[in-house]
Amino acid sequence: MAAIPSSVVKYVRTLWMSEMVITYLFVNSDGNLQEWGGHPRYYGLSNLTAGQPVTEQIFFLEGLLPANHTEVLQFMNMGGSTAHVHILPCHHGTWILLLDATVEHERQQQIQQQVNELSLLNYRQTQLLNQIEEARQGLLEEKQHLEEIIEVKSRLIASLSHELRTPLSSIIGYTDLLDKAKQEDEKTTNYLTTVKNNASYLLGLIDNILDQARLEAGKVELQPSHCDVKQLLNDLKALFFPAAQDKKLELEFTLQRNIPSKIMVDSLRLRQILINLVSNGIKFTQVGQIKLELAWEKDKLIFLVQDTGPGISPEAQEKVFIPFHREAETKHIQGTGLGLTISYQLVNLMGGELKVVESSPSGTTFSGFVVAPEVYHQGIVALTQEGNIIPQISVDAKILVVDDNSVIRMLTEIYLKTGGYTVITACSGEEGIEIAIKEQPNLVLMDLLMPDMDGYIAVQRLREQQFIEPIIALSASNFDSDYEYALNVGCNGYLTKPVDATKLLEKVALILKG
Amino acid sequence: MLQKKICMIGDFAVGKTSLVARFVTEGFSDKYMTTVGVKIDTKIVTLTGGQEVKLILWDIAGNDALTTAATSYLRGAAGYLLVVDGTRRPTWESALQLQKAVMAAIGEKPFIFLLNKSDLSEQWEITKSMVNEQLAQGHTIIHTSAKMGKGVEQAFEELAEKMLVS
Ligand SMILES: Nc1nc2c(ncn2[C@@H]2O[C@H](COP(=O)(O)OP(=O)(O)O)[C@@H](O)[C@H]2O)c(=O)[nH]1
Ligand SMILES: [Mg+2]
Repeated sequence: MAAIPSSVVKYVRTLWMSEMVITYLFVNSDGNLQEWGGHPRYYGLSNLTAGQPVTEQIFFLEGLLPANHTEVLQFMNMGGSTAHVHILPCHHGTWILLLDATVEHERQQQIQQQVNELSLLNYRQTQLLNQIEEARQGLLEEKQHLEEIIEVKSRLIASLSHELRTPLSSIIGYTDLLDKAKQEDEKTTNYLTTVKNNASYLLGLIDNILDQARLEAGKVELQPSHCDVKQLLNDLKALFFPAAQDKKLELEFTLQRNIPSKIMVDSLRLRQILINLVSNGIKFTQVGQIKLELAWEKDKLIFLVQDTGPGISPEAQEKVFIPFHREAETKHIQGTGLGLTISYQLVNLMGGELKVVESSPSGTTFSGFVVAPEVYHQGIVALTQEGNIIPQISVDAKILVVDDNSVIRMLTEIYLKTGGYTVITACSGEEGIEIAIKEQPNLVLMDLLMPDMDGYIAVQRLREQQFIEPIIALSASNFDSDYEYALNVGCNGYLTKPVDATKLLEKVALILKG
Repeated sequence: MLQKKICMIGDFAVGKTSLVARFVTEGFSDKYMTTVGVKIDTKIVTLTGGQEVKLILWDIAGNDALTTAATSYLRGAAGYLLVVDGTRRPTWESALQLQKAVMAAIGEKPFIFLLNKSDLSEQWEITKSMVNEQLAQGHTIIHTSAKMGKGVEQAFEELAEKMLVS
């Protein structure tokens, strides 16, 4: 390739020089400015004086002279322009070249700006994410803490209810017995009725508080089974008839025709909801009627409860489902204010809704639904469980009652004896094991909460010692977990105290039948 | 008049440019403008003894590691300010590293750590123990806010005093 002609090189050089806006300065070996050329003003360097110290005129040179080798300072920003500064030491002093880099600086600045801003943003984002994570962790711990508190609370309520239920059960039991002794004296009958009513009321109260605690702790597990809605409605009618009659209220219970004969639902809970709503209506209504309507549509049991009571004010309507909330004007009426709350939570648990549809001084209407699919079945399906008293035929059976409370022990014994059973008793877990092994009863009724050795351990020991007859656990606790635990250690059945005669005999017969 | 070169050292966006701007023109802008290369400013300060000195301030582009180019910026410096963004902990670690790098480049020169953005106390990420560790080594630390003007003059003047005794 031919060499580039010098004329072309010269042309290119002038072109390049004019583009670069080159500026130069010469500083002698004393550090004085000697001469300069180009465009120093372009860099804000005006009033340059020859023969004077350069560092007093061009500040950035402070400390840099004398230079002992070539040095380049990139992107020196001066007077609104930017230069690459080349410092070239030579024999008699130093050459300083300022090559314009304003355009390049601008371009670099834009790129760097973006890079840095992105990096800052990224850092803040990471910090925020960390903060969110920390907050989440904190909330989680708080939640766990709260759950522990609720757990402790519901345990406390459970044990309290045990303390309350045990003496209550003996009161109810003895009242029953006294009642059966048939005193024709009117006074005694009145006293007995009062005692019984109050005791039943207390028991209802305890059950409600217990239910509320269990609902709060998420401990309620549904037990859906086949439910005969017609039967349920009849039961409710019978249940409420006396109370309605007392207050001269009319009851109107209706069932829509298309309701399937059997639906799948936790019938105990459904019953509880309806009882709460209807008894609430009866409680607050002085004249008129209470209406209960049941209908069914697409796997849903729809209910409507209407009363002709004084109504609920709009402000109060928002709070009727809050625990322990009672309106001031209803303070004279007995109750814990838990019935509606419990119903509300149960309905939610059962996949439904409950609300006040309408309320005015002439009455209130509650309506709601629960999920309850139809049960299809051919032929005869055994109708067990609900309400069917199994006829007492089995005789000769020997039953061991283990309970540390002598009153309960005696009461249970009496109940069992009216059923025709032979009864033996033990007052502790240890004694229970001993007698069971020796006497080999056909059935054991075991109290779960006893001092020293509790029922769970006693049952476990019995099963370890090859005791194979059925054992029914007796407990004041309604917790599903206790129920499951009892079955796990080897119980065949579970009864909640206070046990009434019917329930006890029914269960005993069922278990003995195998 | 006596002239001294001071370098502003520290990660990008810690507030070097803002501190110089606050000191020289008593202004402040919230808008971030990345510095590329170096910008020179001057300001005369009067020391406690009444002596006047012209400070030549080199606001150098923030870099994680000092490049060779940056080393040539440092030459002739009589002292330097190590600026930290108190709301970004990594800039503290950078400052500690940069201090070593600067010392390797220009030898032992007076310097001061500036914990800048002290107005943003709720985002603060520098702990007492981190500070104490440096204090224990005899280093000077000043909390500054270029935004509020807090500690800024003090920082430059204290450095100037240190430079003149050394
Ligand atoms: N809140 C607050 N912001 C500041 C302070 N100093 C600087 N900044 C902001 O921080 C960003 C970076 O500042 P700058 O001086 O450009 O940092 P440099 O890269 O170190 O020169 C800019 O948005 C400034 O407004 C301060 O003391 N307080
Ligand atoms: Mg800057």
